[in-house]
Amino acid sequence: MLGYVIRRILVSIPTLLVVLTVVFILVRVAPGDPARAILGDYASQEAVEALRRRMGLDKPLWQQYIEFLGGLFRGDLGRSLISGVPVAKQVSYVLPYTLELTFTGIVLGVLLGVPLGIYTALKRNRLPDYIGRTFSLLGLSFPTFYLGILLLLLFSVKLGLFPSMGGGRAGDPVDRLRHLFLPALTLGLIMTAYITRMSRSAMLNVLNEDYVRTARAKGLRETRVIFRHALKNALIPILSVVGVYSIVLIGGSIMVEIVFSRPGLGKLMVGAMMQRDYITLQSIMVIYSVLVVILNLITDLSYGLVDPRVKYE
Amino acid sequence: MKRFLLIFVVFGLLAFGALSEGKFLRIAFDAADLKTLDPHLAAATMDRAVVDMIFNGLVRYKPGDISAPFEPDLAACWEVSADGLTWTFHLRTGVYFHPFPGYPDGYELTAEDVVYSLQKAADPGRSAYAGEYAGMTFVAVGKYTVQVKLQKPLPPSLFLPKFADYAGGFIVSKKALEVLGDEGFRTHPVGTGPFMFKEYSPLEKVVLVANPKYFRGSPKLDGVIVYYMPNLAAREAALETGSVDIIEGPPEQPWVEKMRKKPGVIVDTFGPGECAVLHLNMSKPPFNDIRVRKAVAYALDRDELRLTVGLDIAAPLCSPVPPLLPGGLTCEELGKLRYDVDREKALELLAEAGYPNGFSIEVVISERAEYLIPMQNIQAQLAEVGIDVKLKVVDHSSMHTLIRQDVNPIVLYVAWRPNADVFLTRFYHSDSIVVTGKKPDTNFSHLGGVDADGDGKIDSIDDLIEAARVELDPEKQISLWKEACRRILELVAAYPLYIKQFVYARSPKVDYGYELKSSLALYPPINELTDIKG
Repeated sequence: MLGYVIRRILVSIPTLLVVLTVVFILVRVAPGDPARAILGDYASQEAVEALRRRMGLDKPLWQQYIEFLGGLFRGDLGRSLISGVPVAKQVSYVLPYTLELTFTGIVLGVLLGVPLGIYTALKRNRLPDYIGRTFSLLGLSFPTFYLGILLLLLFSVKLGLFPSMGGGRAGDPVDRLRHLFLPALTLGLIMTAYITRMSRSAMLNVLNEDYVRTARAKGLRETRVIFRHALKNALIPILSVVGVYSIVLIGGSIMVEIVFSRPGLGKLMVGAMMQRDYITLQSIMVIYSVLVVILNLITDLSYGLVDPRVKYE
Repeated sequence: MKRFLLIFVVFGLLAFGALSEGKFLRIAFDAADLKTLDPHLAAATMDRAVVDMIFNGLVRYKPGDISAPFEPDLAACWEVSADGLTWTFHLRTGVYFHPFPGYPDGYELTAEDVVYSLQKAADPGRSAYAGEYAGMTFVAVGKYTVQVKLQKPLPPSLFLPKFADYAGGFIVSKKALEVLGDEGFRTHPVGTGPFMFKEYSPLEKVVLVANPKYFRGSPKLDGVIVYYMPNLAAREAALETGSVDIIEGPPEQPWVEKMRKKPGVIVDTFGPGECAVLHLNMSKPPFNDIRVRKAVAYALDRDELRLTVGLDIAAPLCSPVPPLLPGGLTCEELGKLRYDVDREKALELLAEAGYPNGFSIEVVISERAEYLIPMQNIQAQLAEVGIDVKLKVVDHSSMHTLIRQDVNPIVLYVAWRPNADVFLTRFYHSDSIVVTGKKPDTNFSHLGGVDADGDGKIDSIDDLIEAARVELDPEKQISLWKEACRRILELVAAYPLYIKQFVYARSPKVDYGYELKSSLALYPPINELTDIKG
């Protein structure tokens, strides 16, 4: 198993390198100048050029690329071109906010989506199934930011139950949870829609299998048939969809962070993009790529937990 | 049942866990994060706002009214020598810098700090405004006395703004910069203003607390929290729920009207605003022909544009220098140089210039509403006379880069500059011509580098700008600036459109403490007089 994990990590290195190179080139090909972004349109060209030199943006591209990769290998993500703060410090501040948001969203999605999927499968082509499918379709087609705004208007503006902005005070878990609730619910509902759909179709497949019929013929209780015989076999496709959509959810968290004015990787990335903060942008892409690799790995490893036929060699 | 009770209790705790923060005013800006709180680099609205609360200048604009005479700030008084080459500032005594690491009680401001600060403002590597201080030397001639020596005399109207509470004029702490370094200072500013930096939570907020030692008296507020909220719906929700007290609004009329209808919301629109001007590139066909430029001027209807942008947002502007500033002209003063809309005349001029069927141009424009909406209206108006404008919409940062590469035949530029000299120099002096000027800047029309009226000679207003810059008689100076404005309009190097006002919405509980007419800090200034009632 350890050998498998190491092999998977080694295989991801070339993928990461390709992603980083593409990002490095793309952010620089786009017109726009971080020095101008910092100094504003009132600054003279002389001041802009001086700042460009100070930022090292006058160096040839290949040199900037080598310095960037060299820094990465040393574990140094560099300093933000705009604020001058080390990117590692910025990321370490915002990453917990993004992780708590996406993790809670995933958990909510699984806790709501799997039971709903099972239930709609059992009530196939009846009213609960139609309602579940409509909910699922709505969730799949709703843009994350729009759902976020609707929840914000309902729970914050109309009902005044939850804060509409911020990430909560550090060291105050209740405050953090209050601020987390609506953003996590936004992501959780989207995730629920995905998981409900997949759980329903996975359950429908296994419910028609011979071993389920046999279990029922043996006179086992329906709950035992569903949870012990059917769900266990439906878990593999459900797990893979959880893995894939967790990655999608990380993308969705960008808009949620903007809507709820939460600190997070997404908000950091959008700010860096608008201000052409190349260094921060590159580093965030490194983090996102690493997160995707880790999530894929966890998904693959989790197959072994639910399917004894899967071996890691 | 127990489970449901537990869920109910947790939900209740989450929902009603109230905050108690003291008498803090909370203001939300349209930004993802701060860029820099070094006042000599701060240029964006959200940064200018924070530094405005933390720092002072030697003199200051009257809070809420930039057209009023300058008031003393860190300097109690000042005088100029008979030859106009030496200005002497006498500092207030007993002014203290805010505390910072190593100086828990701050320390007293002296001439040494002022000289250091001005030298920093004049250093192109450490300031965005270095050009303003070229040729000046700064000397401490006593503990509380600073002299500024000039190579050429400058009239007070051009000299004092450089030492006011704006841009390079903010006075920073020498010792704090030595302790924190330039990088550290960007996120831990130390000044003498009514509010002191307390905390920065990246991507979320900056917390400022009242400076009890402020030389004008302790502020009425306990502090100010500045939030970074790029989503408009989120800012609106925050204002409606009472999570913030003031929000930055978009310069859009429907938004102003919508917010005015909401109970418990006051909308403020105030100046000086930013001048929206259409610059016509005279270096290339078809706009190298003055008849084509005049055709554009006659084809455009300012009133229609103002209606499109919104009458609360767009104030009239007919002169390259706005009438609020000395040297600017009102629409009434300009007479036929207003180029009141006359599309028949525009068509005649186009036919005369060899374009009876009009022509087609491609224009790069920012995706921001303040640029895109007026440009779309200009596109529609010019289509009436056969000029087909194809818009290439790019992000704001890209537009700023591309227009400085001279890619556009016409450039819509929305900006404020502190005085007539800066307006005229940066937009119309030959040194400022984009790409090819000696100091390439924002002269998009190429005035001063081309024959604008077809008489075979280069047309320039450099002499008027330079003469006004050193003219010590205020009346003569204003007359030279006005002449320069008229010349620009005669040559149709640019067509002024309107002045875009700033838009903020606030809770009625907020009392600024002064009458808000205009502010160079781009936000409704918060100072020691600002209060929250109730």
